[in-house]
Amino acid sequence: MPLSILLPMVGLGIAGIAVLLHLLGLSRRATLADEAAARAAWLREFPGDAPMRVTLCHDRSAALIMTETGRGVVWPMGADTTARYLDGAQITPTRTGLRIDLPDYTAPRIHLALDPNETAEWRNTLEETA
Amino acid sequence: MSDMITFPDVVNWAVPFFIAAILAELLWIVIRGRGGRYETRDALTSLLMGAGNVASGILLGFIAYGFFMVLWEITPLDLGTSLGVIALCFVLDDLRYYWVHRFGHRIRWVWASHVNHHSSQHYNLTTALRQTWTGTFTFMMVVRAPLILLGFHPAMVLFVGGLNLIYQFWIHTEAIGRMPRWFEAVMNTPSHHRVHHGRNPRYLDCNYAGVFIIWDKIFGTFVPEMEEEKVDYGLVHNLGTFNPIRVAFHEWVGIFRDATQPGLTWRERLNYCIMPPGWSHDGSRETSTAIKARHVHQHPEAAGTPGLPPLTERAP
Repeated sequence: MPLSILLPMVGLGIAGIAVLLHLLGLSRRATLADEAAARAAWLREFPGDAPMRVTLCHDRSAALIMTETGRGVVWPMGADTTARYLDGAQITPTRTGLRIDLPDYTAPRIHLALDPNETAEWRNTLEETA
Repeated sequence: MSDMITFPDVVNWAVPFFIAAILAELLWIVIRGRGGRYETRDALTSLLMGAGNVASGILLGFIAYGFFMVLWEITPLDLGTSLGVIALCFVLDDLRYYWVHRFGHRIRWVWASHVNHHSSQHYNLTTALRQTWTGTFTFMMVVRAPLILLGFHPAMVLFVGGLNLIYQFWIHTEAIGRMPRWFEAVMNTPSHHRVHHGRNPRYLDCNYAGVFIIWDKIFGTFVPEMEEEKVDYGLVHNLGTFNPIRVAFHEWVGIFRDATQPGLTWRERLNYCIMPPGWSHDGSRETSTAIKARHVHQHPEAAGTPGLPPLTERAP
């Protein structure tokens, strides 16, 4: 197939599908129904390290996890979730919450949407346990 | 020897079909409320990986093709281009695919290229297009060398490889449950390939087939989809980014970081490249074998069932 046909078709196809998915409401991020859901999401990534404490943020979009091994965070990846330990994390307050920079090529930056009280609490917890 | 044989570039010609099928699957899921899941950023990443795969083929395809043409110059054999030869080439190339795919899961250097195909937590037709950008650097083109040395023209070998890839497109769906029994027995199907994309301990490292599932049955890597264990899609450690650059290169970066850390022997540096994913010099990580062993110690009732080893005395 000539590139003059292939390239526009691929470009329009990708853009069209992405727009359609968004218009169908399929861009919604996952939320963690409760602490049990946050615990399950953590154990899905680290089945051998059970959470001792789970702190769910107010809009249930993320959770801070404490385990015997250390601290970590669960957050949405689109309609699903993932989790990481916070070893070597740099915590920076933002207008909407906290930004976590990790020395991890597969999860370099996590944006947490927190209200002002939560931001202070989470920041303190993260610094206490750092 | 016939050097000027041409075959259609079937993968590029299949692009309109890919787009139409994705729209049909999406429509089915939205209308019926079942049969799979779609999410915008996940699908967009998969589609961009597919576009990047086509681009890398255009930019780097000459390396593999040049290698094949050198082999074609060397070989005294020429099987011609009859329909029977093309069919035989298709079957043998599918056997080649099985082994390349198996190496892709058991050798970290090759996994670094293939991992991106498994990096979605979704399983739909866009996942099929989440293809590698770095396949050339795995040097797995050498596994095709015997076909060309046996007298199959390089253009034919690439043509049947394209057909193989197109076949595998439709099996990336949850919208199809099971096919008729005879079909499930011989062919790779959505059910068999869902298992291959599972991150459940039971489903790790199995069902490597491209078109014919018989290769897995012959070589002992077949695991059926179990009604009682729903497939959990994605990687053992799921990515925290949708950035296609990071998706494409993250395992290569991981190999580089592991192999260049201070204090290792040269053997350990090499092992970070060629041992199965999850291998580490200090045993601090888990390979799929270790994950399965740990799982059966936590769930002894599952020991010895499909995809899982028997219970051993020694705790992992």
